[in-house]
Amino acid sequence: MKIIFEYDEEQTTKHVPDIDDKEKKGEDILTELPKDLIRKELPLPNVSEINVVRHYTNISRMNYGVDLGFYPLGSCTMKYNPKINEDLARLDGFIDLHPLSNESCIQGSLQLMWEFEQDLKKITGMDAFSLQPAAGAQGELLGIMITKAYYKQKNEKRTKIIIPDSAHGTNPATAAMCKFETITIPSDSRGNMDIYKFKESLKHDVALVMLTNPNTLGLFEEKILEISDLAHSNGALMYCDGANMNALLGITRPSDQGFDMIHLNLHKSFSTPHGGGGPGAGTVGVKSFLEDYLPLPRVIIKQDNKFTLDYTKRKSVGMIRYSYGNFGMLVRAYCYIRSWGTNIRRVSEHAILNANYLLSFLKDDFELPYNRRCAHEFVLSSRKFGEKSALNIAKRLMDYGFHPPTIYFPLIVREALMIEPTETESKETLDRFASALRSIASELKVNPNIAKGAPYTKSVGRLDEVAAARKPNLRWTTSSKSYQKKDSGEKDLFIEKSVSNSMINEKGT
Amino acid sequence: MLIIIIIMNYIPTTKNDREEMLKRIGVRSINDLIVDLKPRFNEKLDLPEPMSELELVEHMTNLSQKNKIMKYFIGAGSYNHYIPSAVNHLLMRGEFLTGYTPYQAEMNQGTLHAIYEFQSFICLLTGMDVANASMYEGSSALAEAVLVSSSYNQRNCVFVKNGLNPQYIEVLKTYCEGADLKLTNEINENTACVIAQNPDFYGNVENLQYISEQAHRVGALFVTCVVEPTSLAILEPPGNYGADIVVGEGQSFGIPVNFGGPYLGFMGVKDFLLKKIPGRICGMTTDSKGNKGFVLTLQAREQHIRRERATSNITTNVALMALASTIYLALMGRDGLINVAKLSYCRAHLLHDKLRSSGFKALNKKPFYNEFIMKAPKGSSENISSNLLKNGIIGGLNLAEDKILICCTEMNTVQDIESFISVTKETMIK
Repeated sequence: MKIIFEYDEEQTTKHVPDIDDKEKKGEDILTELPKDLIRKELPLPNVSEINVVRHYTNISRMNYGVDLGFYPLGSCTMKYNPKINEDLARLDGFIDLHPLSNESCIQGSLQLMWEFEQDLKKITGMDAFSLQPAAGAQGELLGIMITKAYYKQKNEKRTKIIIPDSAHGTNPATAAMCKFETITIPSDSRGNMDIYKFKESLKHDVALVMLTNPNTLGLFEEKILEISDLAHSNGALMYCDGANMNALLGITRPSDQGFDMIHLNLHKSFSTPHGGGGPGAGTVGVKSFLEDYLPLPRVIIKQDNKFTLDYTKRKSVGMIRYSYGNFGMLVRAYCYIRSWGTNIRRVSEHAILNANYLLSFLKDDFELPYNRRCAHEFVLSSRKFGEKSALNIAKRLMDYGFHPPTIYFPLIVREALMIEPTETESKETLDRFASALRSIASELKVNPNIAKGAPYTKSVGRLDEVAAARKPNLRWTTSSKSYQKKDSGEKDLFIEKSVSNSMINEKGT
Repeated sequence: MLIIIIIMNYIPTTKNDREEMLKRIGVRSINDLIVDLKPRFNEKLDLPEPMSELELVEHMTNLSQKNKIMKYFIGAGSYNHYIPSAVNHLLMRGEFLTGYTPYQAEMNQGTLHAIYEFQSFICLLTGMDVANASMYEGSSALAEAVLVSSSYNQRNCVFVKNGLNPQYIEVLKTYCEGADLKLTNEINENTACVIAQNPDFYGNVENLQYISEQAHRVGALFVTCVVEPTSLAILEPPGNYGADIVVGEGQSFGIPVNFGGPYLGFMGVKDFLLKKIPGRICGMTTDSKGNKGFVLTLQAREQHIRRERATSNITTNVALMALASTIYLALMGRDGLINVAKLSYCRAHLLHDKLRSSGFKALNKKPFYNEFIMKAPKGSSENISSNLLKNGIIGGLNLAEDKILICCTEMNTVQDIESFISVTKETMIK
């Protein structure tokens, strides 16, 4: 496939009108701008619409999504994304609304945000939500900023955050962004946070305990109530990384487990599409004593049933991003919750059922490092197949038509394969996936070289990541133009992969 | 007649399947699978009754109609540009829409290919050497640029030139408070970076070479923030006037105003900051047979590897929005983008001149691009705004003392501009 810059046609398709005769014409319209600030050259290509559409359609065919098949990428909750929610999020009344419009023009969106907040409160048991954070990691950042502001207000010096070794990398990374020190607690033999080590570390300088429940091993934290009690009696706050909320909907409420704060990844449990890596949304819920710390503005309802944006300062940490949040994602998640309504518990029940069913086929061919029933996902180890076996299995799975699981995470399991089927997969799909993995396991015993060379059936073979990092080629440059074929154009789109690749072979950086 | 009750949205498992699955696992019910989970919530959640797709459409349509869509002469961080139809058609392809971060490169060459193009577009437009795969939106991208600067030179003060979008200042303050950094009023040897928005919040366009020199003289980095990136079609790239980091908002490139999000943060840096840049980066490489391909690269900067020593905690970014802007830029092309910029510039200047002859006072001391600030005759700005509103026009952002921040794009036709003027004149006569 060509890079879009390798097309350069004489004209582009006319999407906007030319400058009118009534307006100033031609090159001299920019007279009022300083000459030294007018761009001399804009090195972008002109491409006809048909070539743009073919280019991106062809590129899309080298991609894989939930719409194409099973995507058991652990910790990411790759469930089906309802099509109707795409349409509803694109209703003119939502999508064309300027965020700084007068309050009388934005009542529908404010009502949606207000109602959505009520729904999230009910699901989690929290007392208030901020819809601002753009992703889970930004939700964590908000949670830690709130923690910092809370202790500043209380005039207590607490500088440490307790995080188990199974946690997502975002937890310690976020703690560091707010200058907290991380205390890492090892996991015990059942995959829980080691309660003895936890007690040892829980001193008066601990501000926050950050837990994921179920944790990244797909296991419920068995001593969660004891942990919360200990943290609270020490004066520390409890934060729930809600990445795994898909195991909890309607079955338990994080507030009842003793959490004071939680972020919810709307692109995970609440089915907003992952988009190839976002946009997501990471709404943050808190108990009432932390409500005043949430970002501004808050949506509130007035006596006359009108909605308004409340900018009253109180103790707010401030804004964490422009505007009110990833509104488009809020619409989709709201639609998802409303379509399930009181039945939302079925989501988590089936997510757990599917994971345990799949596990039942795989625990003998691979190793299950913590031999317990799993929640909505599970982590296997392929270490008996040797070094890099998880990587090779992942690549080989592609040839069977599946997206691989998350590999090498959590870090505490060697050759980890982290598998999350989600509730939207049928028994038949799970059966096929199980038999594919078992067939790869047999292959590995007979001829491990097959997996080492995989994948064989994708648009490219195994890619050289080491070379990519050693000699970074991170963008197209005008000097790359010398590699452009003069007679390119549409013909190229029909040339087989091997040919078109050789055409752009060895393009300089 | 048989009554059919469908209760399982988007779950294909049948009752028979469920029984077989439980049997295979060796338990009697799903409840037996969650014995480790404490405490259980045994009530029914107090949510509304489930809705069918049809009911949902009705509900959401009603809700959306409670909003009022206007003709916008307001920007201030969200710009109403034309989006070619093909953008959305391509974005809606499930291959793009329903995949995730391309951790498994061989399976997701499409997303990676597009990220590589996106990074290239950002570099070409800003004059930077390296761009990442995207940030959440402009203001948090700016805040992350400050963290990059502080991590690079180990300094803890930040200087912001007048004219930064006020919401961006708020976000900056929040991040600085978290990271123990200070916003200060002078540029000195403690300054990690100097920030300037161009065009600034009031639309002013300026050659910032002198600010860049001031920053570099004391060893600070110079960060340029671009909130209306269509301006880059006709303005010099910030790299040419000394920027070390260019961050900003890419919403103008094919992304609807959408009540404030999702938008598109971008970040480009000079080569020497490569190891400090946050987030995903895509690089070109080869496969086992020597064919070209793309992978996520230089991941040792990122949270999933470096944990507390990562350059940032960012994980999910806004890949689909980056794709939208890439497709937009490809569709508009060089000529189309220049046309958008010139139309926006011309329409804004047309309205500006007409307002000035109607009694508004021009306040921009420097040339402006497509946004400008004017002072309405004393005490009239509120009335003008509300009369414009009655005529379906949002006439700008009202600031203190009858000042109004007004914006035009190619969407504001000459006819719209004439209605704006006539409503304004009528109001002033009254």
